[in-house]
Amino acid sequence: MAMVQPRNLKYRVWAARLFMILFICIIMFPFLMIISVSFRSGNFATGSLIPDNPSLEHWAMAFGIPWENADGSITQPTFPVLIWLWNSIKISVLTSGFILLLSTTGAYAFARLKFRFKQSMLTSMMILQMFPAVLALVAFHTIFDKLGNFIPWLGLNTHGALIVAYLGGVTMNIWLIKGYFESIDNALEESAAIDGATPWQAFRHILLPLSVPILAVVFILAFIGVIGEYPVASVLLQDMDKLTLAVGSKQFLNPQNYLWGDFAAAAVLTGLPITLIFLLAQRYLVSGLTSGGVKG
Amino acid sequence: MKKPGAAGAVLSGKGLKWALVALIDLALLYVVTLMYAQGEIAFALVILLLGGIGTWVFTSEKAYNFRYVYPSLLGVILFVVFPLIYTVNVAFTNYSSSNLLTFERVKQIHLAKRYQSGDDKYTLALYQSGENYQLQLTDKDDNTRAFVTEGFAKSKEKLRINASQDIQPAGDKLAMRNVIKMRTSLKKLTVVLPDNRELVMTSLREFGAMAPLFTEGEEGSLINNQTGSVAKPDFETGYYLDENGKTMTPGFTIYIGWDNFTKVLTDPGIQGPFLKIFTWTLIFAALTVVFTLVVGLLLACLVQWEPLKESGIYRVLLILPYAVPAFISILIFRGLFNQNFGEINMVLEALFGISPEWFTNEYLAKSMILMVNTWLGYPYMMILCMGLLKAIPEDLYEASAIDGAGPIQNLMNITLPMIIKPLTPLLIASFAFNFNNFVLINLLTGGLPNMIGATTPAGATDILVSYTFRIAFGQYGQDYGLASAIAALIFLVVGAIAWANLKATRSVQEQ
Amino acid sequence: MAEVKLVNLDKSYDGGKSYVLRNINLDINDGEFVAFVGPSGCGKSTLLRMICGLEDITSGDLSIEQERVNDMPPNERRVGMVFQSYALYPHMTVRENMAFGLKLSKIDKKVINERVEEAARTLQLEPLLDRKPKAMSGGQRQRVAIGRSIVQEPRVFLFDEPLSNLDVSLRVQMRQELARLHSRLKTTAIYVTHDQVEAMTLADKIVVLSPLAEGSESNLEQVGAPLELFHHPKNLFVAGFIGSPKMNFFRGEIVATGSETTQVKLETGEMIQTYNDTSYAAIGDKVTLGIRPQDVLTNAEENNVTGTINALERLGTETFVYLNHPAIVEAFTVRIEDHRRREEGESFKVGLPAESCHLFGANGQAFQRTRAPQFD
Repeated sequence: MAMVQPRNLKYRVWAARLFMILFICIIMFPFLMIISVSFRSGNFATGSLIPDNPSLEHWAMAFGIPWENADGSITQPTFPVLIWLWNSIKISVLTSGFILLLSTTGAYAFARLKFRFKQSMLTSMMILQMFPAVLALVAFHTIFDKLGNFIPWLGLNTHGALIVAYLGGVTMNIWLIKGYFESIDNALEESAAIDGATPWQAFRHILLPLSVPILAVVFILAFIGVIGEYPVASVLLQDMDKLTLAVGSKQFLNPQNYLWGDFAAAAVLTGLPITLIFLLAQRYLVSGLTSGGVKG
Repeated sequence: MKKPGAAGAVLSGKGLKWALVALIDLALLYVVTLMYAQGEIAFALVILLLGGIGTWVFTSEKAYNFRYVYPSLLGVILFVVFPLIYTVNVAFTNYSSSNLLTFERVKQIHLAKRYQSGDDKYTLALYQSGENYQLQLTDKDDNTRAFVTEGFAKSKEKLRINASQDIQPAGDKLAMRNVIKMRTSLKKLTVVLPDNRELVMTSLREFGAMAPLFTEGEEGSLINNQTGSVAKPDFETGYYLDENGKTMTPGFTIYIGWDNFTKVLTDPGIQGPFLKIFTWTLIFAALTVVFTLVVGLLLACLVQWEPLKESGIYRVLLILPYAVPAFISILIFRGLFNQNFGEINMVLEALFGISPEWFTNEYLAKSMILMVNTWLGYPYMMILCMGLLKAIPEDLYEASAIDGAGPIQNLMNITLPMIIKPLTPLLIASFAFNFNNFVLINLLTGGLPNMIGATTPAGATDILVSYTFRIAFGQYGQDYGLASAIAALIFLVVGAIAWANLKATRSVQEQ
Repeated sequence: MAEVKLVNLDKSYDGGKSYVLRNINLDINDGEFVAFVGPSGCGKSTLLRMICGLEDITSGDLSIEQERVNDMPPNERRVGMVFQSYALYPHMTVRENMAFGLKLSKIDKKVINERVEEAARTLQLEPLLDRKPKAMSGGQRQRVAIGRSIVQEPRVFLFDEPLSNLDVSLRVQMRQELARLHSRLKTTAIYVTHDQVEAMTLADKIVVLSPLAEGSESNLEQVGAPLELFHHPKNLFVAGFIGSPKMNFFRGEIVATGSETTQVKLETGEMIQTYNDTSYAAIGDKVTLGIRPQDVLTNAEENNVTGTINALERLGTETFVYLNHPAIVEAFTVRIEDHRRREEGESFKVGLPAESCHLFGANGQAFQRTRAPQFD
């Protein structure tokens, strides 16, 4: 190591290590707590980090299984957590797919093709991406309310409306993919053209296979973004069994019906897969995240 | 070359494309016609315009390159630009839960109102045959005139049925107590006589005739058939006013000019909370950026410090708050901070014997929000800083070490100056994001505790967007117009931020 | 096998406001190896990309095998191209790279395999067929790029500075391989390079292009066999561009015209006799006199000029002497083979042999040399 080493390095390393461990303990506290809470019996029970008498009642609720209490009474699940999860996954996968499709073709045009107003379109997109949908919720509500009169599957309280509403979020992804396309040598497609490929074949056989990494990143980012989206979904969806997780989860902590334990189990159940996807892909996601924008 | 046959030509390439475009255009035209018929001119025009451009893009060879951008532009225009314009438009109207409908619809609703004219009265007799019921209505003035309805089932839905003199009732006539049991069903019935007169139940023994309450007069005015008075539409308030000047619900939507904006800026019940919330929004966004940056930069430096060998594990654990979906983390904190059963207060109680009122004390609530948001946001800053720190040449530190600089001097003289420029646009973006961080506020405190003396619900921890949301979708009176006016004001702020961001990005790219 | 014909070809990126290429007329015969040379910015790569269809032709006609191909997309022109960056598809093996174009044109698998194997044999790529491009050296990638266009059996091979990414020794080796390959395949080839040595050694015919000057008719300077360009440059630009080190130029004026010999007075008053046909010039015309550094003599009795030594480079086999001279344009370089010691600042008298002198009129056009060396 070429670094110049101070004499008291050893103490400094230990100090840093101690600080890190303490900090991580604070950071991890909510997660450990919520896992612990999900195994406690009852919704108001207090206790130590490791539950004294672990119970699976909250997990049964999360999975939609009726739970027989110690006194013989049966508790029915309050909320359809699995349906919410399924709604969330369905909407996220479909939306991410559409977003991927739209932003890939858009990015291709911006990276490779010549057309009028290209630069001004790019600039406007950059500005527009700063306006979050939460600012236009009234408009979304009204637009889909009225649209529903003509096209029922795009009305309020439909998943179709939600998916379509999310399609405005392509700008960030166009930027990401465009940047990646531009890093690929244009001569590859020219070479393919001379090899006899039509523009579509060059796109399909050369550019697309080379861009799989960024397309995966965009898909995952869009997926995570949509699954955590709250404002638009909360305005457009109303029926209990149409809700997404992000909207539904809030119901657990209603002051009139405070279901802390049930929430904990549902949170762990639904949060874990998403967290794992993120952590596994984080090496690839980081580059995408840092090139602009903030997670929503 | 293979020459495709006639059928092949239709299926492949050109033929298929034209068929598809024609099909989509037909569907769009249908929808446009429907919208136009129902008076939704703005929607019809937008769809007509975008559909027209789309048709041109996908059929003209000149527009070939636009085919790749058009779909994504369509998404942006329809779901970013159009809602923004629409919001500004709504800001100039009195659109709200009490003035939800267009003038035409409101007039129709009034014209559809009925009252019992009291001229004709009919005694009722109810017959039952299995699940099937029939009513026999006999004219009180003329016992020989009796109408019998078609069969109907017991139901809670509104029902219109026809009656005539030719039908004979089937089954048994029910006794009074059974008629009383059927009361709710009967009340939902409208009996239509052959001459189109309508009868509804007026008492347990009687059905009476109904007549339209209003007939349309000149200039949209309504003439009350019962009292003969005239109700006129008032396009200043968006209501029909009866002869006493009393408003008749429902109201209709009208343009009211700058009224909503004037209200925001002058009405003490709104202006006060608005300014307080605006200030808090700025403080909240700025402090969040500062806190997350400080924590993130510190951790990034530590994680990338070579002597700390096990930093890989720290890195993954430190990113965790970012990996968990925000709505879950925020709700977890909402539970943990709960004043009565939250784990945080239990720990504090056990250690220091205190139990802060996180949700009812304004300042504690604000501190809690900042703590939670720092927790949520520092990993992003850490990731950003890690990337930027890597780009600083190592030899700068070696040179400064030879000059005898310590870690603090390194930070102030090398690290910060080197990263601040590329970081600026990202910090601005982060500020903009937190300026509109609706999810955090809505899920964590919902804006509580509430401010006192506000006309519309406003909370001490509300930021502008959550305030807007409560005005538009809150439980007490949904004032979309006012909400949109505030949203339009936020657009200005966001526009300024976006402009600053663009400038900062350009200056980084020019380096 | 094909001839390529360019008639009045123009290229403009801004709809005719300014041109990159202007009035390019060129006949390339079947089987010929043609090199486009010129300094950067002269449009030689653009011209090549117009021939293969990657750039639009603004006006004029381009035909391959008597067929006008202006509006034909690149994938239908049946030309092969080797890019400067090789442009190998990174996600495909060498075999897949070479077979890509054939697969697109739905050729029988067996035929594809045969052609790929044969090309691999020709280029000694057989052991590498299943590797991916990133596991290969620059020279190997270069050969794959060539192989990829060979298997297509194109009508014309196009090379866009194919050797510029290789190091010097590999470049010499690849140059010879290319020459061998061409003599065997005998396919028409067009080769763009900024390296005149490549052009001189490989090409049957060299096309010299210059950056388009304002108001100039065309930026096609001269077309000809390599030695013709060297010995009979048509104008100052070609004279200055072909040959290394560069030709020296002196300012002067004609004092005696003639169909065999000409008398030139340099600005310094030194009198030089040259073998150029100036019968249609007039006495007193401003001219530029050119001589290549290796043609300058140190022991001549007449046609002398004297300069002061500015710098010396003694390289063993030869010595380059850089002189200051009042009539010189840019620099005066002399290449000598004796090893006498000379000092900077010393004055140095050299001779300009009359049969080696080039003479250019005020418009830059050359006066025909009357006693130039013979070549085939």
